Amino acid sequence: MGTYGWLLALHVTGAFLFLGGAVSAGTLNVLARRARRPSEIALLLGLTRIPLIAINVGMPMTIVFGLWLVVHLDDYTITEGWILASLLLWAVSGALGGLGGQREKATRLEAERLAAEDDSPSAALAERLRDRVSNGLSWGSGVAGLAILVLMIWKPGA
Amino acid sequence: MIAAVRPDSWNLVLFFHVLGAIVLVGAVATVIVLAATAGRRPERELLSRAAFWVTLLLVLPSWLVMRIFGEWTRSREGYGDEDPTWLGIGYIVGDLGLLLILLTGGFAFWWSRRRGEGWQRLAVLGFAGIYLAALAVTWFVMAGKPD
Repeated sequence: MGTYGWLLALHVTGAFLFLGGAVSAGTLNVLARRARRPSEIALLLGLTRIPLIAINVGMPMTIVFGLWLVVHLDDYTITEGWILASLLLWAVSGALGGLGGQREKATRLEAERLAAEDDSPSAALAERLRDRVSNGLSWGSGVAGLAILVLMIWKPGA
Repeated sequence: MIAAVRPDSWNLVLFFHVLGAIVLVGAVATVIVLAATAGRRPERELLSRAAFWVTLLLVLPSWLVMRIFGEWTRSREGYGDEDPTWLGIGYIVGDLGLLLILLTGGFAFWWSRRRGEGWQRLAVLGFAGIYLAALAVTWFVMAGKPD
């Protein structure tokens, strides 16, 4: 496998960690919304920290090896629209995911507090899990990641 | 930068193949997280049910999308009867993957019927773990395309 093959394989590995981690975190989030007891909700939201590790490893990998590929290949330049758009979407995805994650952490801490009291289902906690801002931020982050995948495959203007 | 030279009309098919593979990886990883956590938690019944439903509703459909659109992509690439090695590895992991998914789902169902108790958790963890490792090798080889 030549330099191009290695760079592309590591770039794609980063993408799988980033987007696969986002799928896993989103799935655990949906499971938490379907749980009833605060202890169950706290557990499932707490488990999202595991795919978050994959996301935090994968995101820098996509950028480092993606830019390395651009430098390595003569066919592309960093000023091309689809590459600049990808970089912008990468930053947007990270920012939205970070903001959504902070709100979800607050929900998890509230669930842990309720679990330590009497662990009975709470309407307020259920409301927090359905919070449109939190969910919008998290799903927005995922959609931005998906849009990067679209750009990587179609390469408009390349 | 998944493929450098490719007609535009193939992109949608390749997109769904890659999207299916990404969702598959995330879903299998979720099953592993659920099964690994259940061993030391009182919520193991919830986790066993979640592992079964994630396998049924996310792992299996995403495998189907990945496999169908992968075959469609291959039919357009025109390799003929001689598949390159990296594509052969994709086929092996893709097809044996269905067996591993069915075993994971079957044991997850059995585990959930036992209210999260029993050795079935380790079977779920083992089969899903093997499949995730195989998927990792496959995406690396299919992206790098070694001779």
